[in-house]
Amino acid sequence: MAEEDLIICRCEEVSLNEILAAIQEGARTINEVKRRTRAGMGLCQGKTCRRLVTQILARQTGQPMGDILPSTFRPPVRPIALGILSSVEGEEEDDVP
Amino acid sequence: MFPDVVIIGGGIVGCSCAYYLSREGVKVHLVERGSIASGTSGACEGNILQWDKQPGIELKLGIASAFLWETLAEELPLDIEYVKKGSILVAENQEGLDSAGQIVKSLQNEGVPCQLATREDLLELEPNLAPDITGGAIFPEDAQVQPMLATIALGQAAKDQGAVIHTFTEVKNIELSPERSVVAVNTTAGRIPTRAIVNAAGVWSNAIGKMVDLDIPVLPRKGHIVVTEPVANIVNCKMMEAGYTQAVESDERGLAIAAVVEHTLSGNILLGSSREFVGFDRSVNPDVIRAIVARALRFFPALKNIHAIRTYAGLRPYTPDHRPIIAEADTVKGFYVATGHEGAGICLGPITGKLIAQMLTGQATDLPIEQLSLSRFDD
Ligand SMILES: Cc1cc2nc3c(=O)[nH]c(=O)nc-3n(C[C@H](O)[C@H](O)[C@H](O)COP(=O)(O)OP(=O)(O)OC[C@H]3O[C@@H](n4cnc5c(N)ncnc54)[C@H](O)[C@@H]3O)c2cc1C
Repeated sequence: MAEEDLIICRCEEVSLNEILAAIQEGARTINEVKRRTRAGMGLCQGKTCRRLVTQILARQTGQPMGDILPSTFRPPVRPIALGILSSVEGEEEDDVP
Repeated sequence: MFPDVVIIGGGIVGCSCAYYLSREGVKVHLVERGSIASGTSGACEGNILQWDKQPGIELKLGIASAFLWETLAEELPLDIEYVKKGSILVAENQEGLDSAGQIVKSLQNEGVPCQLATREDLLELEPNLAPDITGGAIFPEDAQVQPMLATIALGQAAKDQGAVIHTFTEVKNIELSPERSVVAVNTTAGRIPTRAIVNAAGVWSNAIGKMVDLDIPVLPRKGHIVVTEPVANIVNCKMMEAGYTQAVESDERGLAIAAVVEHTLSGNILLGSSREFVGFDRSVNPDVIRAIVARALRFFPALKNIHAIRTYAGLRPYTPDHRPIIAEADTVKGFYVATGHEGAGICLGPITGKLIAQMLTGQATDLPIEQLSLSRFDD
């Protein structure tokens, strides 16, 4: 497998190639990469790929890791069943956060 | 060289203006203090609806813009996830059904195909709808885009047509001549001399107006969204409850909730909608989230075991009469305003850009713009 086909965001199946293309088109922050590719929008909300995307951005753009703007964190921290979230009819759910 | 026009704001409206202006050969600079789509256009849904528009100029704008979106989906350099999947309006009582009936009538008067639907029609379309609903209406022409990609694509296309996009650059003040004509824009990246400005700063356009002593009566009307994990076959089209337009038109300062349940191309379901006036605070309020989810479960009980993965809130640019402002200011030559689209900026972005381009290049406008003036709010 070519390095470019590596999956960076597993939840949304975004490859290194797609991230490189987004940077090529002008993305300079994690949020910009996210808006273009969906990397970080999946079930884990970027917990796994956020660091990788930062590294790729740093490598491609020559910015230090620390200068790259962090992505926005979106609650809930863990996926939660809607029945529980609205606190109606959630009894059968075992996935309580 | 100096640009002919400086657009302030890189949301759907600013990027649409940049696209249609640069297509006319106008030299455009767009200034955005964050990244493209970092304002409301990155914290919304992408519905392109007809039925929520008031008969008259608002509906005419909606019809014209829906038509533009259809062409843009082909023209733009990125896939914007355009789908014309239609929407349904669902009533849970006779009152809701009556209001659906009125909407169908006014749309049919404008030639928009749509029809009333019985409970059985709706359940056939959406088998997971709560079986105790009363009925509603079907709007097959309604469409959607992925709003962030759509905004980015318009900005990208504008750039390809020669527009210059300055991101992470904030407008600090505006210079006028003694006769009150636009002379230059001062930004954190320097001074840009220009004869024309388009204020497309969304809920922040009031602050831009103040720079030239104009009062632009736009207020932030907050909305929350809940995003679920990707799932198939629970919701097919877009569903809105029949009380939705009342929630939009109410001027109540309190919280208004009306169910919006939408399945996106990526598989996630988006749940909305809430409306409240709470200033510029974009933080997520768990009580509002709970109310939105409860309302969605009322119509789609099958969603109860589906997981929410993300929530966010955005600020709709509200005007007191629910119509956008698309106009040149009477008292500042060269100062154009394109804002106040409240909950319809994604839908109305393209027509706004096209009208602004026609005004700036001295062409006849596709639609009459008198009712969209800024001066309508005077006294
Ligand atoms: C929850 C929710 C759901 C919605 N759903 C829909 C829908 O389904 N369909 C629909 O059509 N509409 C919908 N909307 C409405 C739509 O999102 C807005 O009408 C639209 O995004 C407004 O776009 P805009 O370009 O005017 O503003 P924005 O996208 O906010 O752009 C304005 C930009 O100006 C920039 N700016 C501000 N001040 C300065 C400055 N001094 N210097 C430089 N830049 C500056 C900001 O950073 C911002 O990026 C929804 C809104 C919300 C909140």
